[in-house]
Amino acid sequence: MAATPDVTAAEVPLETLVDTANRIRRAIESVIEGKGDVVRLTLTVLLAEGHLLIEDVPGVGKTMLAKALARSIDCPVKRVQFTPDLLPSDVTGVSAYNQQNGEFEFKPGPVFANIVVGDEINRASPKTQSALLECMEERQVTVDGVTYGLGSPFMVIATQNPIEMEGTYALPEAQRDRFTAKIAMGYPAPAAELEMLDVHGASQPLDKLEPVATTAEVRALIQAIRAVYVSQSVKKYAIDIVTATRTSPDLALGASPRATLHMVRCARAHAALSGRDYVIPDDLRDLAVPVLAHRLLPSMEAQGQRRLPEQTIVDLVARVPVPDTK
Amino acid sequence: MKLPIAAGLATAAVSLTLYPLFNGGSWFWTSMGAILVVTGASAATIRLRAPLWAGPPIMFLSLALYLTLAFAYNLAWLWIIPTKSSVYMIGMLVTAGFEDIQQFAAPVPASEGVTLLTAGGVGLIAVLVDLFAVRLRQAALAGLPLLALFCVPVEVMPDPIGWPAFVLGAFGYVGLLVADGRERLGQWGRAVLVRRSRASHARTTPDTGRLALSGRRIGVTAVALAIVLPALLPNLTPSPLMSFGVGNGTGPGGSSITIPDAIAELGGQLRQQENATVLTYTSSDDQPRYLRIYSLDIFDGRKWTLSKITAGEEDRVSEGPLPAPPGLAPGAAVKRAETQIAISDDIGPLRFLPLPYPATQVDADGDWRADQNSLMVYSTKDQAAGLSYHVVTGEPEPTPEQLEASVPDPQSDRYLELPPGLDPRVAAMAAQVTAGATSEYQQAMKLQEWFTRTGGFTYSLEAQGSGGRALSRFVLTDRTGYCEQFASAMAVMARMLGIPARVAIGFTGGSKVGDSWMVRTHDAHAWPELYFSGVGWLRFEPTPAGGAGQGTAQVPQYTLPVLPNASPSATPSAGASSGPDDTSGTSGPQVRNPRDFERDLGAAPQIQETGTPITVKIALGLAAALVLALIPAAVRLLVRGRRRRLVASGGIRRGVSAVQAAWTELCDLLIDYGMARNPGESPRALSRRLAERLGGDTRTGPAVIAAITTITSAEERRRYARTAYEPAPKAADLATVKKALASAVSRKRRLAAALTPPSTLMWVRALGEKALDGFDRLENIRPSLRGQRGTADGAEREDRGEVREPTLTGPRS
Repeated sequence: MAATPDVTAAEVPLETLVDTANRIRRAIESVIEGKGDVVRLTLTVLLAEGHLLIEDVPGVGKTMLAKALARSIDCPVKRVQFTPDLLPSDVTGVSAYNQQNGEFEFKPGPVFANIVVGDEINRASPKTQSALLECMEERQVTVDGVTYGLGSPFMVIATQNPIEMEGTYALPEAQRDRFTAKIAMGYPAPAAELEMLDVHGASQPLDKLEPVATTAEVRALIQAIRAVYVSQSVKKYAIDIVTATRTSPDLALGASPRATLHMVRCARAHAALSGRDYVIPDDLRDLAVPVLAHRLLPSMEAQGQRRLPEQTIVDLVARVPVPDTK
Repeated sequence: MKLPIAAGLATAAVSLTLYPLFNGGSWFWTSMGAILVVTGASAATIRLRAPLWAGPPIMFLSLALYLTLAFAYNLAWLWIIPTKSSVYMIGMLVTAGFEDIQQFAAPVPASEGVTLLTAGGVGLIAVLVDLFAVRLRQAALAGLPLLALFCVPVEVMPDPIGWPAFVLGAFGYVGLLVADGRERLGQWGRAVLVRRSRASHARTTPDTGRLALSGRRIGVTAVALAIVLPALLPNLTPSPLMSFGVGNGTGPGGSSITIPDAIAELGGQLRQQENATVLTYTSSDDQPRYLRIYSLDIFDGRKWTLSKITAGEEDRVSEGPLPAPPGLAPGAAVKRAETQIAISDDIGPLRFLPLPYPATQVDADGDWRADQNSLMVYSTKDQAAGLSYHVVTGEPEPTPEQLEASVPDPQSDRYLELPPGLDPRVAAMAAQVTAGATSEYQQAMKLQEWFTRTGGFTYSLEAQGSGGRALSRFVLTDRTGYCEQFASAMAVMARMLGIPARVAIGFTGGSKVGDSWMVRTHDAHAWPELYFSGVGWLRFEPTPAGGAGQGTAQVPQYTLPVLPNASPSATPSAGASSGPDDTSGTSGPQVRNPRDFERDLGAAPQIQETGTPITVKIALGLAAALVLALIPAAVRLLVRGRRRRLVASGGIRRGVSAVQAAWTELCDLLIDYGMARNPGESPRALSRRLAERLGGDTRTGPAVIAAITTITSAEERRRYARTAYEPAPKAADLATVKKALASAVSRKRRLAAALTPPSTLMWVRALGEKALDGFDRLENIRPSLRGQRGTADGAEREDRGEVREPTLTGPRS
């Protein structure tokens, strides 16, 4: 795929960024009713160059969200339906022998797209899952000794059913850690559901969705976000939060250093989407649950008391003092 | 497991208060050993899950073994198993210990018997405390045996227990209560965690650290109040004044009476800060009179003590007149005077009546008896406190001729006894001082003159002791002391010269207040009484009077120097304050005793002191308290003014920018109005909270929100943004916010915020927090148990490929 064009932050003023982001948001929200915060988080993850895990029961619009995002940015989108018999090469691509010129030729798999929707990722075997996850982290695919780079932006939106559902392979912690954030869609509010019936009953709104941004624009946005200012004290605050998860008695497994990295990256995007060129502790607080919760393992005691990691994080964050210096 | 240790610690802490009872510290380690053994036995029974009832017997047994080991190991089998002879040995020691305790007043020498008794007693208390706290789970009741232990020094020692000892004991008890509370709650589940220090231990046991913390907070506060409050309230503690005459071990109905070291008590009284009223009296001739309590007639080389006093039922003062004063010739002229004495209610135990000498009749309620020889009046049943009684005295009025004519009286030989080994230089000095005197009376006069005038003596309460070496030092080198030394030295020297002498202890005549005479603690006094045949015992006054001496001391008339040419019967008046004497018919004061003037000076401030009415004192105290109470409000006003000026100027002063000043002022306002921000709340979150709370009013709401937002976002930018360019807050913003906050709270809260702003007291709280953090750190120094558990956890985690630091959570700002 094409190399990243040389776009610098200076070319995208904050106002343009917010404007573009709002356009994408409105486009998605025209398809997904009443899920403003979910859409916003999705955008945050996109701009933070992360990957998103959407976990919820079937039929609440997980795939629809992924498709709407892909459609509103004018970029290639591939969708992989994970099934138990799916093979790694079905994801990454395969080298096939070309009889005409007598050479092996690489047939790219679905990961060669800017947005990859991995549907029901927890239905595939761990082997296939890990093939995808490797691409996510490395942003490249190696087949038969040849390394192929992936596009930019590159975002995997995986959906999964809660692990209690039948016929699923739960993602191991190490793999969950690669997803920047996990969100739950949740059932729509009755009013939103009613509107959905009206809209979807007449036509498929996804078809009407026109791209509102180009990949180049999104790349520029990502570049711009890297320039958002994070003061030393706020960085330290992020570390404080992560450290708190590592020492909490309610958690058997705390957040990794990668989590810290993801959190600060997302916080930059979050700040930029709010029209700020600097990160404040509130950005980190808002993101703590979606970014950290899926990486943590509750301790036996917390499990016994049915204390979810989400709740633990909320408690922890409320206790970490915000920095009062630069 | 922790509870027995807490019980042991509590007992140990209270045992520390026994320290002043003993000479030497061997008893302490032995007692600590006893506590250790009992605690160990208790912990072991719990560890081994022995039945509940088995605890106390096992502890008793261990204590017995320990005592055998400590005191009779050479007679025991395998050092600890008691044998017949070892038990006998212990019994002997106990008997010896009891004898020692009977014999000595505190501090007693820590002989083996006394140590055994102490260690055994402390051990028994430890068993009792353990029984209550650990077996019966009634930690509060365990305070009773502890209190009993605490009462021993309180009861025996004349001085009040120092507050550090009290603090120690109190903390021991509080620690026991806290441990009990923790153990009790520990069975219920995990306490709510707010301040967490260690992550590891909550995983295996419910953490009650937080709980202990609050327990300690309450305990610390209570103990601090217990110490500070009595100190702040004047006269709340009953002063241990007049505690000589303590009936050691004699109950109200006892038949014997023991006399403490009256002289030592005297020194204690004179050195006391407080000068409380002991008694008041009126006399028929309105003259001050020395009031004698004890008459000490035995000098054993170390100190003056009392010989045995006896009085049968027939000697009750209610039965009739007192025995005739010894030595007074039947036909001698006496001056009759009546005195009405009222003793204060709040003096310590006193079983002797202060009386002018020589009393011929005493009308007092109760079983008061007179001693034949000394004419002391005492009771084994009744106390002098609060008593009011009437005394008739017949004072001898000796003429110098009578005194000159005094001849040695063989009956009074026992008042000449001196112990061997006294410094011969003292006797030489006595002879030197009295050289040229032709009679006992002249010798006595010269002695008194030497002490008060010519000898170069200085009055000082610093001096100690009056026996052997102290006597030599006082007479020969130092010449510094107070009434104890003066009286003792004069009495000893008089005996050396062959004049029968004894030391009286009581009070000087006091100072005149209104129509009556008032005697105070600082009027406690000792003086020598010398015997002259035909006249009897006469008081002398070697102690200097006046401001630089014993304030209200007064030399007797018959000892005043007679002018060489004056007629022998012409004695100068006793002083400016005394009126014309009705019986002596004085010949005018041609010589005025300079000390009388001094005495008046000394007495004057005391009279003045009583003039300050208590209401004025209270008013002054209240005013001072008010001024103190308003200091925080004043400080707050100053700080607010300074910040407002800084905000208005928009500049930076001493490293604090206007933005910061506005923000801290906002935070302080929130603290004052009870909406304090917690450290986890960001400026933006605070702004949101305040907007919800204050923005409800449609008229003023938007302006208030705008003001808050200006302050908070400026602070946010200052803290987190690369550059701060947002409009800086103005003084008007602060005023708007303050008004809005004030209107959002109750009137009471507003008033409190203005008068006692909590924000100014934050540093006190910060200090307290630091202290508590220190406590936490102490709490975290846990021996092996916790540590092992922690390691086990660590290993478990390492197995999962994750290692976590068992350290503190994020830093606190």
